[in-house]
Amino acid sequence: MHRNDPHKGIRTVLYTAVFLLLLAAGLTGFPGNNILRYGFRILLYITIGEMWNLLSGYAGMTSLGQQAFIGLSGYTLAVVTTRYGLPYPLGILLGLLISLAAAFLLSLFLLRIDGMYFAITTWVVAEALGTLFMSMTYVNRGAGMTVTAEPYPRIGRLFVMALLLCSLSLVLAELLLRSGYGLGIMAMRDDPEAAEAAGVNVKLAKRAVYIFAAGVTALAGSLFFLNKGTIYPESGFDIGWTISMVFIVIIGGSGTIEGPVIGAVLYVLLSEYLARYPGWSNMILGAIAILMILFCPRGIVRFSPRPKDHLTKAR
Amino acid sequence: MRSGEIISFDDIKAGYGRSRILKGLSFSVREGEVFGVIGPNGCGKSTMLNVLTGTLCPSSGRLFYREKEISGLPSYKRCRLGIGRTWQIPRPFTGMTVYDNVLTGAVHGAGESVKQSREKAEKVLKETGLADKSRIPSGELTLLDRKRLELARAMASGPEVLLLDEVAAGLTEAETKEIMALVGGLRERKYTVIWIEHNIETMLKATDRLMCMADGRNVICGDPGEVMGSEIVEELYLGKD
Ligand SMILES: Nc1ncnc2c1ncn2[C@@H]1O[C@H](COP(=O)(O)OP(=O)(O)OP(=O)(O)O)[C@@H](O)[C@H]1O
Ligand SMILES: [Mg+2]
Repeated sequence: MHRNDPHKGIRTVLYTAVFLLLLAAGLTGFPGNNILRYGFRILLYITIGEMWNLLSGYAGMTSLGQQAFIGLSGYTLAVVTTRYGLPYPLGILLGLLISLAAAFLLSLFLLRIDGMYFAITTWVVAEALGTLFMSMTYVNRGAGMTVTAEPYPRIGRLFVMALLLCSLSLVLAELLLRSGYGLGIMAMRDDPEAAEAAGVNVKLAKRAVYIFAAGVTALAGSLFFLNKGTIYPESGFDIGWTISMVFIVIIGGSGTIEGPVIGAVLYVLLSEYLARYPGWSNMILGAIAILMILFCPRGIVRFSPRPKDHLTKAR
Repeated sequence: MRSGEIISFDDIKAGYGRSRILKGLSFSVREGEVFGVIGPNGCGKSTMLNVLTGTLCPSSGRLFYREKEISGLPSYKRCRLGIGRTWQIPRPFTGMTVYDNVLTGAVHGAGESVKQSREKAEKVLKETGLADKSRIPSGELTLLDRKRLELARAMASGPEVLLLDEVAAGLTEAETKEIMALVGGLRERKYTVIWIEHNIETMLKATDRLMCMADGRNVICGDPGEVMGSEIVEELYLGKD
């Protein structure tokens, strides 16, 4: 019967080739700093978009608080490098660990809540963290912090780090979804009670997805702020992070791996272009999202509204 | 719990929110039998299944599976123990294909690898007449096929006890025949079956024992002929059939 994706071999070759090409671009720096800077942002937005997609599109957990992990990891990076003068890779690692621990603790009560209450609670938690950082002298309150590194990584190196993170998270997400766990995750999205009665450990599946998404989002956050060099409570814990993830997934198509890739490219290019019209840019992005929901609710990659077979799912 | 019994309810009380539905339900099911359950609308038949699968937590009473008290077990563990169910109103995983629905039952319900489960899923799909439809999104199925999928998903989890909740409800006469033939075939597989049905005629021939519930209690339980002939059942169904 229908067992394997007939194009699997071709896809693997194609994706590997793209990866190697991008890797070469980052290592040699030949496309120029400007292009690499765009590429860096696109790669990170693909990563965080894909994680939100995993949460919402595949597992049915619509979070509005993923910026909590971006802020936590960004601040950890700043504290470790500036306050303690330690190397930035240590800051990234510690940011990851803190975010994983935070996600685990949050999961203890967040996973008892469903639907809209889950969404709102995640948002409130992120806002509370922002407020907390705003009042902590340890992180200079609202004055923000800088990230220090000696020597400061150049854009080529940042690009390579983003490429590795993005590729690794895509491969891991794909492996997860194609495994038996993936079946359980999607079943739980469609009907948690029936999934549980069919043998799916819903709590474990939710917790695993939530913590995994938090960890990867945190790593992306570290890279964002390593590039940016400064962090404030409003920029670290900005709901705008999650809004961009939602936009990327809506435009590209939720519940598909390819969707957020296209969504992220469009998002970065559009928001860069719209930056010339401050004030209008959010409204235009919002209007585009609404039009997509109305006329193409499954996103650009899926005009045909049929879920594909788990086994033959084209990647 | 007596030997030979696989499931036993002991004075179970349960309800949703503040409403009390099961008001001290006690009965036992023997291993390998087809155990029919009848009773008026809303008397708590589906609720009894919800308690058995762990979807609903009873407020008091004890529940046994073989010699084991299972009231404290989460729903998914009960499925893995061997309790598979169908839902009265089918609940397919609508974002997934028919095949993946059944595969989910096989992988998670039986706790086996995807590789091992594929063969089982394909076999069950064939047996339930869904083989040609396996790649269709389950949300697009007709009611009859959804009922088949309910059975297929439950069977794929490798149950010892199969819980059937009105598999014939809402179907036309011809469709009812089809699904009944399917259910009739379950007998030969040595499943223990708890079978709730409104369509009593069709069920009677296939059941070993019959329980009639009313107002959250077991009012009579025993030989199907005797139960149907009893005064209390006649009273309950007076003017209904
Ligand atoms: N999820 C729920 N939440 C609240 N009340 C419920 C729920 N499910 C069922 N009920 C109520 O509990 C009572 C018993 O329902 P149940 O489904 O167990 O009856 P039943 O015997 O299966 O009836 P039927 O023959 O109509 O299927 C009904 O009054 C019903 O309205
Ligand atoms: Mg019912």
